[in-house]
Amino acid sequence: MLRINNLHKSFGKVVAVSDINLQVRRGETVVLMGPSGCGKSTTIRTINRLIEPDRGQVLFNGQDITAMRDKDLLKVRKRIGFVFQHFNLISRLSALENVMLGLVMGDMPREVAREKAMSALTKVGLEPCAGQRPDEMSGGQQQRVGIARALAFEPELMLWDEPTASLDPILVREVLVVMEELAKYRASTMVVVTHELPFALHVADRIILMDKGRIVEEGLPSKVFATPASSVGLRYKELIEYQMNTSARTLAGKRIA
Amino acid sequence: MRFVRNMLRDSFYRDIVILAIISIVIGSALASAVSMGANAYFSKTLSSLVGDYGEFDLVIQVREETKEDAEQQIQRILEDVFPGAKMKEGPTVTGKTNIFVALPDEFKTKPIYEDLGKTFGSIPGGAGVGFMTEPRLTIRGVPEGAKNLLMERIAAMEGVRFAFRDGGSIGVILTSLDNSVAVNKQIEALLKQYQVIEISFPVGSEPSNPVRLGEAIASDMQNQLKLEVARNVSVDGQNDDMTSLVSTMMELRRFLAAYASQVTIAPVDGVRLLKGDAVVFQGAAPNAPAAGEAPAKENVLVQVTDIQPDGSAIGTITQGDASQLTNLQGSKLENNLVGQPTGAASYRNPRQELGSALNETSKLVGQVPEFAQDAQNVAKIASGALDDYSTGVSAIEQTLDGVRSAGATIQAATNGLAAIDTRALQSQINSSSKAMGGVIGTLQVLKLLQADTNATIDSLTSTQGNLNNINNTLGALSNVTATAHQARAAIDGIVANGQTTLDTLKSFDAEGARANLNDINGRLAQVQQINTPMVASQLQYMAASAPSLKDEDINHSVQLLDKFIAGQVIPGERIQILTDGNVTTDAAAPIVHREAGHNNVSLYSTALGVIEPNPRGEVYRILSEVKAVLAGITAIVLTVAFLLLDHTAIMSAIRRKNLTGKVKVKGWRAVPAKILAVFTAPERRYGMLMGSVLLTAMFVLAGGGIPYLPWIGVPMLGALLGFVAAGYCEKISPIAAEEVMAGEALGLSFDEIMREVVVPAARPGLLQKLNTRKVKFR
Repeated sequence: MLRINNLHKSFGKVVAVSDINLQVRRGETVVLMGPSGCGKSTTIRTINRLIEPDRGQVLFNGQDITAMRDKDLLKVRKRIGFVFQHFNLISRLSALENVMLGLVMGDMPREVAREKAMSALTKVGLEPCAGQRPDEMSGGQQQRVGIARALAFEPELMLWDEPTASLDPILVREVLVVMEELAKYRASTMVVVTHELPFALHVADRIILMDKGRIVEEGLPSKVFATPASSVGLRYKELIEYQMNTSARTLAGKRIA
Repeated sequence: MRFVRNMLRDSFYRDIVILAIISIVIGSALASAVSMGANAYFSKTLSSLVGDYGEFDLVIQVREETKEDAEQQIQRILEDVFPGAKMKEGPTVTGKTNIFVALPDEFKTKPIYEDLGKTFGSIPGGAGVGFMTEPRLTIRGVPEGAKNLLMERIAAMEGVRFAFRDGGSIGVILTSLDNSVAVNKQIEALLKQYQVIEISFPVGSEPSNPVRLGEAIASDMQNQLKLEVARNVSVDGQNDDMTSLVSTMMELRRFLAAYASQVTIAPVDGVRLLKGDAVVFQGAAPNAPAAGEAPAKENVLVQVTDIQPDGSAIGTITQGDASQLTNLQGSKLENNLVGQPTGAASYRNPRQELGSALNETSKLVGQVPEFAQDAQNVAKIASGALDDYSTGVSAIEQTLDGVRSAGATIQAATNGLAAIDTRALQSQINSSSKAMGGVIGTLQVLKLLQADTNATIDSLTSTQGNLNNINNTLGALSNVTATAHQARAAIDGIVANGQTTLDTLKSFDAEGARANLNDINGRLAQVQQINTPMVASQLQYMAASAPSLKDEDINHSVQLLDKFIAGQVIPGERIQILTDGNVTTDAAAPIVHREAGHNNVSLYSTALGVIEPNPRGEVYRILSEVKAVLAGITAIVLTVAFLLLDHTAIMSAIRRKNLTGKVKVKGWRAVPAKILAVFTAPERRYGMLMGSVLLTAMFVLAGGGIPYLPWIGVPMLGALLGFVAAGYCEKISPIAAEEVMAGEALGLSFDEIMREVVVPAARPGLLQKLNTRKVKFR
């Protein structure tokens, strides 16, 4: 469904993404992980050209997004949902209007759009908050509105750019539940950038580890985290072990240190 | 094509064009309204202040506190002198009330206008009369002496009703406003025909009488440069009474100053006098001035006018008289109090010297008749001597002839003697005498022998004695001959010298001398007829009157004369010559130098006069400029407002959209590339274009105009404003990048993002107002 060939992007002298090659199959949930600044967000944003790549190809259902005219790009973007780290809601619009915006601007009749938007909000459990503005909602609710906005299009591909990074751990749960639900039903293909190890372990079909703009390791979570082939993978493995031990000892009522 | 396509479809580009058009319309309307409002207000204010165009002819200024009395007085004058005239009280400005007067047409004449100062001169609190008659032109800067000429020429022009003196200017009343342009051109042409050559004298080189010098220069210029006009216009006309009076006053001043006493003060050691210092002397006071006291009236005060290189001070007496300077020790006046002794004074009193000289002269004049009589007597004697002269010359001639004749006689007498060889005779006689002496000796011997030889011996001795006598006589004869030669030579010398003397005497024009003596005699007779007693008495009168002027009187008079002369616009350091327009100062310079006696002058050529715009027209012109400036400033303000409120949001969006544009060159080429990138950045180009379009369109439509800003500068100024606004667009109208990115991620086009995301969140303005028609989520 999605194929990335030799994608390269630099900001000045800083190389953010260096000749990445990646393939995502339909229905697959791919999780991109790696230390901060390794190029995960840049990679995911170049997919729908929110960031223009310097070179390389992004093929979506065989169409080269990087070579598209603006008009075609707009159409493709409507088929790709995007959830942002900072929610990126239109502050002057209500939750419902935020979800409706893309639909209405896509020439969908207003009432149909309203129904679809309400349906999407219902999916994320925010039907009661439809009339509230972003500044009247919690971070978790805002992010769920953002998810509903992406889902309302019924996109073929969902791109998640660290959707829980701006949330406190309690609110993270709200979002992860929704994401797990979506992944569980394989409603769409997903490429997720996250630091949430449990989520990755739980729902990822494939883990891709990045470091310094390059993909350093990829594979099943059990393989990547159990027998890591890269230093990044090793650090994640150690982290998992540490978390497991800490959780076990804590739950056993023992002192950790 | 793309632009046209964008215009045809419902795009944000079309929104921008509509915004620009509406901005221009609103801005132009606002700018016009502001400028027209201000113009209307000022025009109305002006009309209420000075009436409508041509409504009034005169404005009489009076002091506010006397305006009631002044108005009554003006009303009376108008009724008596200008029946039918109207009067209106105008505004009071800085304590002076303006009273406007409208004159009936028949009173609008040159004589009346030039006499208005006198006509309204008795107004209580009156401060002057100004002219408001329209249509009118004013020519200023015309030298006094050229005004009559210029007024005559202007009055003869078609379209001119009359020209008159308006204070220092020339007022020209036109027959109709339609003639204004034509008359203006004619006057300009007339002014160009002439010029005024100004001759400036630096300090120290001022002419003693600039009036006379000016006239001399003008006369020389006219004669030597063959000019149509060359006239001294430093003062009002060549034959004007005032010129003569001023000239006389200047001569009088010079005369008085020449007879003011000059005091020289030699300061004591440690005292230094400066120009302007005053020194007090005892004068007629009973005691010397005491230090620390104010000078008495009887003291003599000397003001220092010059300091000599040796430190001595030259001064003039400002109080008292030089004759009172008996005690020559003076003290410096400090803060109007007598200070310490300053030094000793010496003085020269020209009046005293003049008096003495006149007295002596009068005495001399008394003796003139006697001198004349004596001279006549001498002349008679000389005449007698001349009579004797001819006789004397004849006698000398006769004497000389006698001497010459005696010389001839001596010549004849000595010629025979000169033929005798006395020396040979003397030699033979000596030989004979010696031989005879031998014979006698022989006979003496014989006598011893022969007694009868005595007779022979006696005879021979006698003969020898005779021979000796003859010899002696021959010697004497030889001497006589030599003496006769000498006498002859002496007589020849006497005759030659006598002849020379005689020739000299004969060359003397005795008759001419006699005629001269007769003339002298006649003149001496006339001298004897002079009323010498009267002359002597007049001289004595002058001698008596000259010293009667005190020094203080002279100096006060000189100061008064200075004030008078200064008030007659005759600056001593400047002469103005009205002349043809084609004469150069270089051509005039030699004449000026010669007449002035030195080259230390500067010559300038100035226009004869300048046409001054009508004050009211000038005010309206200024008002129209103010209107344009207000329109321009309003347009600038509105352009800035539109740019900041509406267009900075667009610029921010453009800037965000084009963030990927980077300078790709490296090294030194990066610097100009970066500078170029700054000016060619899309948001800056948009800002410059929009600022330029908005400001230029508003300027044109509202009739804006900023002093010193040419029309080409208007779009440039607009572009500059847009450039600056673009530089600060993200600070003025920051856009929510996350919201924009969300819109992009949702597949919204640029138009949709602008309408739904950017503009609704931007600063409230016209764009936002217009956008409400387009936005789908209000």
